[in-house]
Amino acid sequence: MSQSHMSTRLVRVFRYDPMIGGEGHFDEYTLEIEDDTNTTILDVLIRIQKEQDPSLAFRYACRVNMCGSCAMVINGQERLACKTNVSDICGEQNTTFHRKRVTAGNDTNDKSTGREITIRPLNHFPVVRDLVVDMEPFFDKFEKSIPYFEPAEHMEEPAVIAPDARERLDIGLATECILCGCCVSSCTMVHYHDGYVGPAALNRAFTLLADSRDGLHDLRMNQVLDSCYNCRTEFNCTEVCPKEISPTRSIKYIQLLAAKKSLSGKGKRAPDITPEPVEPTAVEPVSAVANNLPNPDRRRFLKNLTFGLGTISAAVVGGVAATAAIGPALEKGKNRWIRLSKLDSIAVGEVTTVTMEYEETFGFHHSRQSKPVLVSRPAEDNNIVVYSSTCTHLGCTVSWDENKRQYVCACHGGAFDEHGNVVSGPPPRPLDRFVYKIEDEHLFVELV
Amino acid sequence: MDSDNKLKYRNPLHWGELDPHRKAGTHIGMWAWIWQRISAIAIIFLIGLHMTLTYKPIIQLLLLITLVFHAALGLRVILLDFNLVNVRYRNALIAGLVGLGIAMIVIIWIRIY
Repeated sequence: MSQSHMSTRLVRVFRYDPMIGGEGHFDEYTLEIEDDTNTTILDVLIRIQKEQDPSLAFRYACRVNMCGSCAMVINGQERLACKTNVSDICGEQNTTFHRKRVTAGNDTNDKSTGREITIRPLNHFPVVRDLVVDMEPFFDKFEKSIPYFEPAEHMEEPAVIAPDARERLDIGLATECILCGCCVSSCTMVHYHDGYVGPAALNRAFTLLADSRDGLHDLRMNQVLDSCYNCRTEFNCTEVCPKEISPTRSIKYIQLLAAKKSLSGKGKRAPDITPEPVEPTAVEPVSAVANNLPNPDRRRFLKNLTFGLGTISAAVVGGVAATAAIGPALEKGKNRWIRLSKLDSIAVGEVTTVTMEYEETFGFHHSRQSKPVLVSRPAEDNNIVVYSSTCTHLGCTVSWDENKRQYVCACHGGAFDEHGNVVSGPPPRPLDRFVYKIEDEHLFVELV
Repeated sequence: MDSDNKLKYRNPLHWGELDPHRKAGTHIGMWAWIWQRISAIAIIFLIGLHMTLTYKPIIQLLLLITLVFHAALGLRVILLDFNLVNVRYRNALIAGLVGLGIAMIVIIWIRIY
């Protein structure tokens, strides 16, 4: 809380007159506030109505955070006007955006001037007038959660719930919801999924579903589970709830309950009860809501587009992964003949080192390999032996030592005789030999 | 309101409509959600690049960063979904897990190169 002091505030209030219609606009009022730490936004609105503009419409009842009537969007966040002090808004003015606004204002000398308060009706509800919204769609959806308790077993005595019972602790303060609509207004998904019953209704359903005495469990679960999957875990509802409830947690809890049930095999789907069609009433708001949704063609198009893009991405990623994983295994079956050199260039009675060059493909990766091979040609005939230069011990390169008449490996002192057999050192087996062929006076080896 | 009411209601305001403060007040959880989706799409492209241009350190690094970031935010949602972490730590989890991820990136990168 900042220190109390006299300040002048610019208050911007959304105005909409149903007699005129249109999109609505903001009216600006300047107000002297004596002590912003004990002046609520509701006080501000009441003063504007009394002192400056009696036509201003807003809704309130209890003034003590109990009824949830005065929910509105105050400086970008859903809050109860009666719970929010002017000084609370002041504390949030220190963002870049606000600083810019303040410096742009004329009265930069007085720190408090220019820090405006913007008040707007809740999102996702038809606006009746100024800050008053029609809560009808909210309560219609709330009813989907079957918001009352029906005991599974009839009891004569009131139930005794231990304060430390698991269920009681799980449900916690989620029963404190006052149905102000802040969560629905803050939820971006409410706009995109017309069947989504919203955070408040799901929170209510959670408080009853988590209760093992609930007699309507399956029916309720049937009604609300689909809605739970519209939640994208943005936690907007949790951030704004004036009662500090987390509807996101409630939604996830319902999903968890459903998952546990189906995993344990006890899940019995309640008889499919066709949800009651939303009766088109004569009142405007319902049609207003309907008009506001994307038309069916567009929705179908978006659905198909999403599905199509998903399929293409899956195919591309799957294809890439499959080629990379299976490709090399398939290619191994094909042995290739690699041309080494002309037969004439291989000296008789000696061991010649020839570099074998070839292209290797591994998945999408191509590389040029060059490996030395050792060609031994004892006599002037076609009896040749082609040794791999890879030491059979740990894969170092062996070379021919003319003086010792041995193939030697520099790494660990392995030595092989003229026929590739181990003479000394750690190699476990003779040098590997390549299968070769001679075609058109050229020497080829087979690459496995 | 009775059904004879001919007053014209204004269409519902949308999230952020006519609201100069909305952008500045967007909660961190929403940014986490949006960026996880963006990183998901980035991963698809980066994997394609990684498979075609193998062993290019810059692509490896980008893919590693994007994957770790995506995984950190995904783990956060899993931890909260299964009620393994109290919901009041939802924002601390973003910083914690992304920080852990960055530490892992540094370790992995130093070990590779």
